[in-house]
Amino acid sequence: MATPVYVPRINNNDDEVKILGFEVVKGAKVSADQILGQIETDKAVMDVTAPEAGYLLGFVGQPEEVVKVGSVLLWIGKTAEEEIPEMKADPGHDGAGGASQTTAKARLLLARHGLSVDAVPPINGRVTVEAVERYLAESGGKVGAPRRGGEAAVQPLDPGPNVAGSVVELTREEKGMASTVSWHRDFAVPGYIEIEYDTAPWVEYAKFFQEQKGLLMPPLLPLMAWRLIQVVKEMPRINATFVHGKRYEYQPVNLGFTIQAGEALYLAVVRESQQLDELAFVNGLGDVLRRAAGHNLRESETSGATIGFSSMERWKVTRHVPILPPHTSFMVAHAAGHAGKAVLGASYDHRVLNGGQVVSALKKIATPPKHQ
Amino acid sequence: MSVVRALSHPDDYVLSNHRNHGHFMTYSGDFVGLVAEIMGRKGGVCGGYGGSQHIAYRNFHSNGVQAGMTGIGVGLAAANKGRGSPGVVAVIIGDGTLGEGMLYESMNLASTWKVPVLFVVEHNGIAQTTYTRDTIGGDIVLRGRAFGLSTWRVSDRDESFIDEVERIVGEVRSSGLPGMLVIDTGRLGPHSKGDDLRDPAEMEGLVAGDPLMALAARLSASEVDDVKERCKEFIVQIEQQALAFPPAVFDEAPEHVFRPVRGVDGPRDTERLPNVRAALNDALRQLLATDPEVILVGEDLHDPYGGAFKVTAGLSEQFKGRVISTPISEAGITGAGIGLAMAGKKPIVEIMFADFLTLCMDQIYNHAVKFPGMFEDTSVPLIIRTPCGGRRGYGPTHSQSLENLFVSVPGLTVLYGSHRHDLGHLLVNASQRWDNPTLFLEHKLLYGEKQDAGDYVEVEPDGGDIGAVLFPTLRNGSDDPDVTLLSYGGMLPVTEKAARILSDEEELSVEIVAPALLAPLPRETLLRLLMDRPRILVVEEAHHHFGFSAEILALLAENGYAGRVARLGAAPVPIASARSLESSQLPDENAVVAAVMDLI
Repeated sequence: MATPVYVPRINNNDDEVKILGFEVVKGAKVSADQILGQIETDKAVMDVTAPEAGYLLGFVGQPEEVVKVGSVLLWIGKTAEEEIPEMKADPGHDGAGGASQTTAKARLLLARHGLSVDAVPPINGRVTVEAVERYLAESGGKVGAPRRGGEAAVQPLDPGPNVAGSVVELTREEKGMASTVSWHRDFAVPGYIEIEYDTAPWVEYAKFFQEQKGLLMPPLLPLMAWRLIQVVKEMPRINATFVHGKRYEYQPVNLGFTIQAGEALYLAVVRESQQLDELAFVNGLGDVLRRAAGHNLRESETSGATIGFSSMERWKVTRHVPILPPHTSFMVAHAAGHAGKAVLGASYDHRVLNGGQVVSALKKIATPPKHQ
Repeated sequence: MSVVRALSHPDDYVLSNHRNHGHFMTYSGDFVGLVAEIMGRKGGVCGGYGGSQHIAYRNFHSNGVQAGMTGIGVGLAAANKGRGSPGVVAVIIGDGTLGEGMLYESMNLASTWKVPVLFVVEHNGIAQTTYTRDTIGGDIVLRGRAFGLSTWRVSDRDESFIDEVERIVGEVRSSGLPGMLVIDTGRLGPHSKGDDLRDPAEMEGLVAGDPLMALAARLSASEVDDVKERCKEFIVQIEQQALAFPPAVFDEAPEHVFRPVRGVDGPRDTERLPNVRAALNDALRQLLATDPEVILVGEDLHDPYGGAFKVTAGLSEQFKGRVISTPISEAGITGAGIGLAMAGKKPIVEIMFADFLTLCMDQIYNHAVKFPGMFEDTSVPLIIRTPCGGRRGYGPTHSQSLENLFVSVPGLTVLYGSHRHDLGHLLVNASQRWDNPTLFLEHKLLYGEKQDAGDYVEVEPDGGDIGAVLFPTLRNGSDDPDVTLLSYGGMLPVTEKAARILSDEEELSVEIVAPALLAPLPRETLLRLLMDRPRILVVEEAHHHFGFSAEILALLAENGYAGRVARLGAAPVPIASARSLESSQLPDENAVVAAVMDLI
């Protein structure tokens, strides 16, 4: 196995030294303690010696180069043919968590064209200028007209209202809401459709389920949400989003369920809900909603929704148009009924679903499972 | 007054203090000039700038800080001695000044340098309202003797007083050695505002023993009245003449005090020099070889040691008597440097670590920059060189970058070049073409760096930026950058590393702007360059709050800059010694990258 020879420390105050030169060439046979070359600081010169006998496989640092103490200077092997292990590309830049996934220049370019980084397929795992430019070229000028006023840096700021007032910081939840609404505005192509349905069958089914399972209350909304999850099995495209010009169908069904807890509006998420049976889901959702009411949601329960369910029955609202949570394309809008009738609606991303598909899904959800 | 009267050679100097009127009138005989000066009239001896306390006239100088002039006196005496002149310097202080340490640095320096300076203590036993018997420990005369000075104590009540003082001044002149003369005298009135709290009986005793009163006792009453009458008339006359001058006004209120650039650029061959240390050493050698007035002063400069960072290596052997190792007296040698400069020498003072500049602050702030500002005929072509900066684990008082303090000193030039500048050339120009007190900062880590301009180019200096033509601002990188990094001195290598990361990994176009002249700030040059840049990060190693970067950002803001700005420097905490701690305090390339990413 190849053995690295590291740059030694000459004194405590110098973290870098200069390589003066080497006394051996690549491939040469060296003996233990043989002098291989010299390094210097501004105070002293020091020999670098071989820790063991072998063959000089190659140099990492070069003469005149200033290198870090502790970095690899050269490699020695038992035979002259050994491979030098691959090195990190930039040993000099080892802090600050490395490079970002999106280069800073790419970010500037995205901002100039008003694009989201999500839209751009990365190259070798990074969104680079090349990646953005390729995306712009492929979109054929349909996206990415440079914003007026050039880059963000020189764009005039919104001067704000011209009426006396005071600035109030948003709570975490409010920021989340602002972010969701912005995604809906900036990235989705939202539509809304509703159907009218008879509420009696669902009320009956919920009551039946309550009695059968010995529950305190008929869990109507959890059961309707469960029904939504079953519809996904028939219509996977309602559990999807739109990425890089293609439909992205999710593997898990992470059901997001809106719940108002005091001033906060949460989208509480039951992950992998397709793996739960009906009762387990009802109980699971109940647990999540209780935690939301106590502002105790777990991290995994606050994000990652792939599909949504929103009800405003509690406020006797008879119709509402929900905002699509980021990266979803279907959100059920449940509302209060009147005289045995109610509307069941859905906000949807028109890039993923068309109206007919939404109506079809809604009809299925409006119909409860058969029961004895 | 008796001492001033005894001075007779054109090279003699009087360094007086805030109580200088008697000394001045004895020296100059210019009664009208003094009174007009105090009245703030145009005909005042200093045009109304100095007022009562600050007078400059030929070889007479007074200032308002008690022991502040003592080191300057040593420097003036050293200049006299160096020229083989028999001139003597009289430094006149009061007994209250015996409480200030600067005095003792100066006495020690005079003793070790063996220069003809006479420290005159006017001992009236009281300082403002406090008896000095309550504030002076030990014996006054023994102070002088302890420093190896010839020391005398006389009383102005003695009949032979005048002759004795003349003899003492003559002895200092003939020996060429320093001395200390304590004169017992009496203060007949209050310090300034009728604030004398002494017992009336004590005052009466003092008046009774006063030499003028003793003279009066020898004259007839009519002769005394006659003298008094003539004095009164004389004073009225002086007052009228002084009042006849218009009030002192500036034709144009001065905006700075810098003397203009002079001379022409000389050739420099720096290619052969391996690093910054060698370049500075070479520049000093060139200066010593070509200008006989250049003199190096500092601690441990002599061979074979050659200074703590070896910048003066080999010079004391080559230039005997012109590379002087001094006592550990930073304030004292700065003062001596000012004195040498005022006498026409070109002193270059080395302060071993920039951290110790705080000891020199009074000399810089109240003296070096004040004289050229107040008095047209006085220039102080003094250079103070000093290594600064951290990253060597030297801890809180040997690692600092103090330029943030010194850029705010009105009239001080602050230079902080880098290995990208030709540092030797900057130093030669500072000495030969720039007759202004100058702080020349050198980062410790740059000494070993090769001087290499790389792909930097000089920014065309704006004609309105004084000094900019001598001390250029450099720039490299894109003309249409995503981000401009403005940095200087020892931060430049760090900034360059960051620029490489930003360019290689973040695909940014990066521009680096590296001024060498921090003060007076080349404002127009920088504005012209920076105003249309979208993002600017100023990177410095100093504590940046209230510092250089703050000034840059203020400059941009005042001129309506529309892009984004940020600054990066050291937090306002002591710099730790342990390398692991220090490295988290001083901005490194990752911190610069992070700051840029925040900007983006």
